[in-house]
Amino acid sequence: MKFFNKKLMAVIFLSIIAGVSAGFGFDFSELENAVSEHTLKNGLRVIVMERHDAPVVSLITYANVGGANDPKEYTGLAHMFEHMAFKGTEKVGTTDLKNELKAMKIEDSIFYELRAERKKGDQADSARLALLEAEFDKAIEHARSFVVPNAFDHILETEGGVGINAGTGMDQTIYLVSLPSNRLELWMAMESERFYKPVLREMYRERNVIAEERLQTLENSPFGRTLDEIKAAAFLAHPYGVSIVGHMSDIKNYTRDAARAYYEKYYVPSNMIVSIVGNVDPREVFRLAEKYWGRLPYKPKPDELATVEPEQNGERRVELEDPAQPLFAACYHIPSFTDKDWPAVQALTDYLGQGRTSLLYKNLVKEKKIAADVGAFAGYPGNKYPTLALVYAIPAAGHNNDECEEQVFAEIEKMQKELLPVEEVEKIKARAKASFINGLNSNMGLAMQLATFENKYGDWRELFKQLNRINTVTPEDIQRVAQKYFVKKNRTVAKLNTI
Amino acid sequence: MKRIFITVLVGAAFLVLLNLPALSQDIEKIKFPPLNPLQIPQVEKVTLENGLNLYLLEDKSLPIFRVNARINAGTYLDPPAKVGLAEICGTVMRTGGTEKWTGDEIDEMLEGVGGSVETSIDLDMGSASVNVLSEYTDMGLEILAEILQRPVFNEDKIELAKVQERTGISRRNDDIGELARREFKKLIYGPESPYARHTEYATVKAIERADLVNFHKTYFCPDNVQMAIWGDFNKDEIITRIKQYFGTWPKGNVTVPPLPEVTYNWRNKVYYAEKADARQSYIRMGHLGGKVTDKDYTDRIVMNSILGEGFGSRLTNNVRTKLGLAYSTGGRLISEFGYPGYFFALASTNPGSTVKAVREMITQIKTMHTDLPTEEEMKKGKDGYLNSFVFNFDSKGEVLGRMMTYDYYGLPEDFLQKEKEGVEKVTPEAVMAAAKNNLRPDEMVILVVGNQAQFDEPLESLGLGPIEKIDITIPAPKEEKELVINDETLARGNELLMAAVKAHGGVDGFKKIKSTRIKGTYTIITPNGGFPLSFEEYKVFPDRMYLLLTVMGRKMYDITNGDKGWKSDQTGSLVEKTADDLSKDKQDLARNLIYIFRQCDKPDYRPVYEGVEEVEGEKIEYITLVKENGDKICRLGLNADSYQLYSSSYWGETPMGEGIINNIYADFKKIGNVTLPTNINVYLEKQKVVEQSFTEYVVNIDIPASTFEKPL
Repeated sequence: MKFFNKKLMAVIFLSIIAGVSAGFGFDFSELENAVSEHTLKNGLRVIVMERHDAPVVSLITYANVGGANDPKEYTGLAHMFEHMAFKGTEKVGTTDLKNELKAMKIEDSIFYELRAERKKGDQADSARLALLEAEFDKAIEHARSFVVPNAFDHILETEGGVGINAGTGMDQTIYLVSLPSNRLELWMAMESERFYKPVLREMYRERNVIAEERLQTLENSPFGRTLDEIKAAAFLAHPYGVSIVGHMSDIKNYTRDAARAYYEKYYVPSNMIVSIVGNVDPREVFRLAEKYWGRLPYKPKPDELATVEPEQNGERRVELEDPAQPLFAACYHIPSFTDKDWPAVQALTDYLGQGRTSLLYKNLVKEKKIAADVGAFAGYPGNKYPTLALVYAIPAAGHNNDECEEQVFAEIEKMQKELLPVEEVEKIKARAKASFINGLNSNMGLAMQLATFENKYGDWRELFKQLNRINTVTPEDIQRVAQKYFVKKNRTVAKLNTI
Repeated sequence: MKRIFITVLVGAAFLVLLNLPALSQDIEKIKFPPLNPLQIPQVEKVTLENGLNLYLLEDKSLPIFRVNARINAGTYLDPPAKVGLAEICGTVMRTGGTEKWTGDEIDEMLEGVGGSVETSIDLDMGSASVNVLSEYTDMGLEILAEILQRPVFNEDKIELAKVQERTGISRRNDDIGELARREFKKLIYGPESPYARHTEYATVKAIERADLVNFHKTYFCPDNVQMAIWGDFNKDEIITRIKQYFGTWPKGNVTVPPLPEVTYNWRNKVYYAEKADARQSYIRMGHLGGKVTDKDYTDRIVMNSILGEGFGSRLTNNVRTKLGLAYSTGGRLISEFGYPGYFFALASTNPGSTVKAVREMITQIKTMHTDLPTEEEMKKGKDGYLNSFVFNFDSKGEVLGRMMTYDYYGLPEDFLQKEKEGVEKVTPEAVMAAAKNNLRPDEMVILVVGNQAQFDEPLESLGLGPIEKIDITIPAPKEEKELVINDETLARGNELLMAAVKAHGGVDGFKKIKSTRIKGTYTIITPNGGFPLSFEEYKVFPDRMYLLLTVMGRKMYDITNGDKGWKSDQTGSLVEKTADDLSKDKQDLARNLIYIFRQCDKPDYRPVYEGVEEVEGEKIEYITLVKENGDKICRLGLNADSYQLYSSSYWGETPMGEGIINNIYADFKKIGNVTLPTNINVYLEKQKVVEQSFTEYVVNIDIPASTFEKPL
């Protein structure tokens, strides 16, 4: 066991921390000193922060896998697997595991036949297709007869669990819950079990839930469709160009074997982080982690993506048609979260398009009244790899995309030519600091940030240097990144035109 | 050989041992260690000379400064004719600005530091909060002090708050679950009771700036405020600061009227509210409940869980899981601090099993009197509560908020701790006794909202006497002045109307119009700007109409073909028009300018002259068109010099709510042989809510009859 208790090391780090915090009014060393970490033999990293205010604990499993890792033909699989993780384990969620597994096998084999027939397209035998579909429905219902619905959530809830949730991004998949702190072992057992021996029950039914989710968030939303197409045009090589929810035809073709292969490659302990904040003793956490999470066999950490998006050679344009509302959007390639330019790019997009005091809001919405709404943000659709900054405007009544385009680009050009006043930059920093610090104001917020920084920087300690990064941004930095990234050659423009 | 054998054996045994825990991890066998004791934070209570009560808690773990103030006032204090007063006061205190800054300036200051200051007034308390980084403590405190002590109640922001309130009124029947909750509370407390009543157009309209100023002046005084302050500060220093900003706030010595008593009329009666377009029936049943200070309060916590909270409760197990009658069901006896709560059980169900579900719900409530809770039920009843109990203490704001509430109601500081100890001791017998003392399944009011044509059985078959129908129509406000109808006003009205028709091309031109086609944009104006939608409208007079509006990529239809019609509902699905819809179509036709003008020589209405008013520098003559029975159709405004149409107003619906609609006409163009407006600005009271502009307006074209059929 390789314990590394931050408390013991406090003296060594004290000088460094003091240096970082000097001049910014707040000393994070007390928080930082409450963190311990431990890596299991199978590679799982466990981070614990002691916070003893109340006998509660927030627990996160952070898997370093997301939409960007989806295999071809199975886009959206990361998201699908997240749904499947709530369907229980071999012990939780079934009335009869043996017969359930048999019923699932039947589901699988009928689906393969059905899929093969469907792939014949026009040549498919319609009678056989109808027969297979009826059989498939029957098999699904049969498998379902062994299911105890919501069993996994229900146990956590009865034991006092709150905020049971999960989320899939391009870069990661996160599972979270808060429990009374003496339920630590229960969580260790249940959480490790679902990633140790996932059963993938109710998989074929769940595909419909996901198809519906795609309809709601993407296909029926003009905004969602525009964002989807702008990133598809911006990325030629990198998988950030494909949506997290996946293509509809892929969703309908998911198989249990594909999900299992995916799980076996990415849900390996060396690719996961457990982050725990609350009223717990780190030694006890590590002991229980060894006992339960230690069951997961070692497997090598899957390689990070090698694909690098080539430099863009000139502006790209996308046009979409919609009967309703016009929309203008533009995006620029920017570096990743850990790049030294990140805080300045964040500051730029904040100043440009966040809130009612932003440049675009004041100019396009309040003064010229040509837009109903505007916005800008950095880090779409992910930020572990080089990504995009996005700017958009919804034209106001009687105004159009072209007018908005002209004004948005004029404002960006201004930021390239003129230095921002120092007091404006101070406001941007104050907002960034407030949002960062409010994000740390709960056990769950802290657990999330620790896991994120451990994953993206490879070291959770970087979290406590974030304020420093925000604070060192200068007007010159903002101008420099405006000139470097927010240029015509590096942008993709999308227009949703009314027909 | 032997040596190797042993090594292999040891190795195998080792592997088996290693694998053992992997093969059998039974979560039921996990023993939970005792929970660490709760550390209740040390809160310092200080009262300033002017009576302001402070609750201070230092917490230097993060550079954050937070305030939560509790003001002893509430919407229960609204005069009956001005319901909504306190709520609007709470909103405009913040948005309307102060003597020192406008509301927009406050927005700007707070956005500059990533902070927030908010105010609101609810049923039995007012709240004000601050959230800033501790380096902006002074800014946060000063803004709060200004807002609490010196709000100016800017007229524009009052109007904005009223528009939002009216929007809420016009949409209050859209969510049927919410409708059922609201009407059920009125059955419990009485429709006029402060615990159940709600705003109406008339009560919102009656609220004036002076009322808000008065309300604020009466109740917002330091001796009527408790203020919890926590975060990164030094206690002594922060007291000095607070004195600086709040020390000169004069004491009010106000006697706040107590929460009113409830007189309850015990009865067993079924009520029905018709919602013809409901896809589910919403059922609520129950009666008056109790207070948290009642002796058997903790027994009721366990009783609630067993009867109706979540998986494993009697209602869920039987009404939902076993019989499959309801999509959702549950129930509990609500206990309040200052007044009696109420008991309810609810379900939403397929209309075809409405009465069956009602019967089963009553049966399940009755089992609480007869069937002693099982061991499993007792465990379920206590576990959820006891296990998540600690989350009552995981946020400082929550701990402080509770402390202020307990102080206010004179409850002991350890009230919650005692509650938990009470729950731990509850026995099955105590649950049954609590059910017998508190639940009266034979004396419940039962409310069903839905479409009774689709019910499995008539509600009368429940055998609880005649069904009382509840009218959920949203009442329009009363008129300010009475219309004077006599020979003189009728003659002048007719004279003006004829002049107007002439000014727009003459009656013959209008009579020739058989059909119209209009295309253009329909822009909804929100506080954030306009959202343009494109529309296409076909009309064949008198009773065929087709409107297609495209909203966020979805086609929304509104079609009338004589006595039939179809429209898209909120989800975009096509539904048949109800009798109510069709009668609204008739009202629309009666207000149609072409329809009015073409029959002016032999009208089915009477034009009544009202008088002349000066509007934005122009003289406008007003006539109101009334039906034979005296019902108003609309009020037309005409330019006194040219007789060109200026406006048309009536009571009606807009996307931003219901109210007096005023259409202001512009961009008059020659259409066929007549002149008509091609731009309409629609105002709801004083607020512009819609702009319609026509890009195409043609008359007498051939419109295929299939246009007015149900679209595929």
